[in-house]
Amino acid sequence: MVNVFKGILIKCDPVMKQFLLHLDDTMKLGSKFVLVDLDECHLFVQPEVYNSLKNLIDEQYEKVYYNQKSSLE
Amino acid sequence: MGKKHKFYEKGKRKRRDDEGSDDEEQLELEGVPQASKHNVEEKGDQTTSKDTYGAFDYRSQMELREDHESRPLWIATNGHIFLESFSPVYKHAKDFLITIAEPVCRPELIHEYKLTAYSLYAAVSVGLQTHDIIEYIKRLCKTSVPPGICEFIRSCTLSYGKVKLVLKKNRYYVESDFPDVIQRLIKNPDIQDCMMSPNEGLVSSERQKSQAIMFTSHQAQMAGTSDDPNNTTNTTDVPNGDTKEGEIVPEDITDFYDKIDKADEEEEEEKDMKTLSFEVNQDKIEILQKTCIGLDFPLLAEYDFKNDTVNEDIKIDLKPSAVLRPYQEKSLRKMFGNGRARSGIIVLPCGAGKSLVGVTACCTVNKKALVLCNSGVSVEQWKQQFKMWSTATDDMICRFTSDAKDKPFNAGILVTTYAMISHSQKRAYEAEQTMNWLKEQEWGIMVLDEVHTIPAKMFRRVLTIVQSHCKLGLTATLVREDDKIADLNFLIGPKLYEANWLELQKEGFIAKVQCAEVWCPMTPEFYREYLMAKVSDQKIKLLCALNPNKFRTCEFLIKYHENRNDKIIVFIDEVFALIHYAKTMQKLYICGKTGQKERMTIIQNFKLNPKVNTIFFSRVADTSFDIPEANVLIEISSQGGSRRQEAQRLGRILRAKKAAVAENFNAFFYALLSQDTREMGYSRKRQSFLINQGYAYRVVTPENMVGMDEEQLHYSTREEKMQLLEQILAASEADMYEDGLTGERSSSGSMRRSGNMRSLSGADDAIYGERRKGSKKDPKDQHYLFKKFRS
Repeated sequence: MVNVFKGILIKCDPVMKQFLLHLDDTMKLGSKFVLVDLDECHLFVQPEVYNSLKNLIDEQYEKVYYNQKSSLE
Repeated sequence: MGKKHKFYEKGKRKRRDDEGSDDEEQLELEGVPQASKHNVEEKGDQTTSKDTYGAFDYRSQMELREDHESRPLWIATNGHIFLESFSPVYKHAKDFLITIAEPVCRPELIHEYKLTAYSLYAAVSVGLQTHDIIEYIKRLCKTSVPPGICEFIRSCTLSYGKVKLVLKKNRYYVESDFPDVIQRLIKNPDIQDCMMSPNEGLVSSERQKSQAIMFTSHQAQMAGTSDDPNNTTNTTDVPNGDTKEGEIVPEDITDFYDKIDKADEEEEEEKDMKTLSFEVNQDKIEILQKTCIGLDFPLLAEYDFKNDTVNEDIKIDLKPSAVLRPYQEKSLRKMFGNGRARSGIIVLPCGAGKSLVGVTACCTVNKKALVLCNSGVSVEQWKQQFKMWSTATDDMICRFTSDAKDKPFNAGILVTTYAMISHSQKRAYEAEQTMNWLKEQEWGIMVLDEVHTIPAKMFRRVLTIVQSHCKLGLTATLVREDDKIADLNFLIGPKLYEANWLELQKEGFIAKVQCAEVWCPMTPEFYREYLMAKVSDQKIKLLCALNPNKFRTCEFLIKYHENRNDKIIVFIDEVFALIHYAKTMQKLYICGKTGQKERMTIIQNFKLNPKVNTIFFSRVADTSFDIPEANVLIEISSQGGSRRQEAQRLGRILRAKKAAVAENFNAFFYALLSQDTREMGYSRKRQSFLINQGYAYRVVTPENMVGMDEEQLHYSTREEKMQLLEQILAASEADMYEDGLTGERSSSGSMRRSGNMRSLSGADDAIYGERRKGSKKDPKDQHYLFKKFRS
């Protein structure tokens, strides 16, 4: 029997892949979205999460680079 | 720039107002005049219209002058001043602006300054008059000066600096050149109480001619010519170096510069100047000062040390070999401008010779001097400085620290730490004796090293213990993450001088530093742990610091620079990481636990032993650790976004290097950052201070590190990396803290045994350790300032 999944192939650096897996693990989008973990730099994911993923990545970027509330921690 | 001037909106200053500390705040604000609360910034911003991009449109408020091209600056209605550093009259404007305004940002071409109540107060206290300031601004400005600015200057300066508290022959006098002001003061009943003989009234006296003190400057003749205002247009080093002969300097600017520059000294020459004064009861000084501040006439403290016959001279002098550099001379001239000593703060970059300024000030006053610094090591360094630059001998300099207690009784100079003086618990007998002696003395001058580190409270305590005629604060970084720095202006005195880092660098007085931030990607495994955030804050810091790619980069940089015969210092905040780095690479390290003797040995080795080229430091070495040999600094981890730490660390390698070729960089500063972690965001903030001083950071990505793959480095295999990760996760909390700063914390190793029965019942000190673990998480305790002072 053949299973056919429609999905998106994401190519990214290993660190970003970890971030995506982390989102997947913690169910940030409500459910699991990673279909296949291909290799260090590639992930195959469900197509409908594309936009929300983009937002989350932007958010993380903001958090890491600009949004520093307290300076002395 | 055409007729359209736009100034982009400045981000509103973030204020961290702690809810609980309102009372404290109130207390600290006491002693700060009312006028300082005027805020020109907000007022100006409200009245100005903005265009669609949020830029201010000042066209309706200012008019461009016809000869605007030859005038160097703009003033926005919010008090910000923009100065063209390539203008032919740059030098004239710079000296003036540094006196009246705070430098905000000084990169290569356009400098930004800001008028504040404090800066204007400082300007008045060094002898500028309200109308002079406004007049000169009008002449320098490309446009008409907005009326709001004139109003602000007037409101801040009119009442300042009119009355002085002068100590003459050990009696306090209130002095003023303005009859109406002093008449107003003596009508106040509270002030009448403070007067020595209220019936006698005012004493009018002819101002004595006192000569401004001359300092032997670095190549006296050179300084002579460059100080001559008429020559400045030709001799100044305008940054791009191409002052065209044809360019016209409006005459009114040069004329006025002359006047402003000499304002201090000239003031004394006006012959029919009458000074009114009354004597004050010494016990009531405090009340008097408060009342005067309430009346908005803060007293300027000056010390007429030449006429002080009660306190003996300590007979020290500068050695002939001690030559002051032009900027050092300038800063001292501000302090001793009218033949008396003023209290205030001098801001010079680290490594630019702050100690020499301090020593010279002490020699000039030539009375008993008290030097306060913040660690035992810098006490030793101050002693050395005194011996190096002045004729003071060993028995004249007394150290008063927990390690070294010299007999003070015939010493002229006492060097001690803030902690020693403000220590409130019981002391040893010997220390008690010294303290009593210290309290009885009348100090001529008090030098406060690294003055930005002392909180107002601690400073107040020092002031209640020590009587001194004038105070000189020295610092490199007059910034703090809390907004308490402004308070210092009123507790110690105004900022007298602030040097421009880039100019000193150009002239070769401090090293020319290449700053780089090196981005090291996290390895997937480390990033995974980082994201999970199950581990404590400390572990996250460790994960960032011990990122194997960072380790490899660091190792590569060390190898590269050791091959060039450079001397390298590496900073790591986390002790666990520090020890791991140092042991893996087989280098020496110094952390809080390292004893004083061992530290000295390591530093001596670093200085003299060609085999020791690298030392690892924890944050103990951030300030006042004099390591002049070092010229490469690698920063592995840091304390959040502290701007000051960044600047102070840079200061460790700023001391001018011997082979200083002005063209090339001769010192290197690498900040290693783990990519995609919060370190990146912190670094933005940390760098802001240095960027404002005109430094530029170069970003280095892994692709730029040529040759790194060929080197034999640690952690090349996945297995090694995994092992490291396991070690980090297994490390106990106790291993990770920077524990040496306070002695008590070094016992926290006992926490690991907290499983047994005795500890659960509280029978041994493991419970004690646990409790402390809790308190460490307390944000208040985490504050690094608090940590410092407890040591």
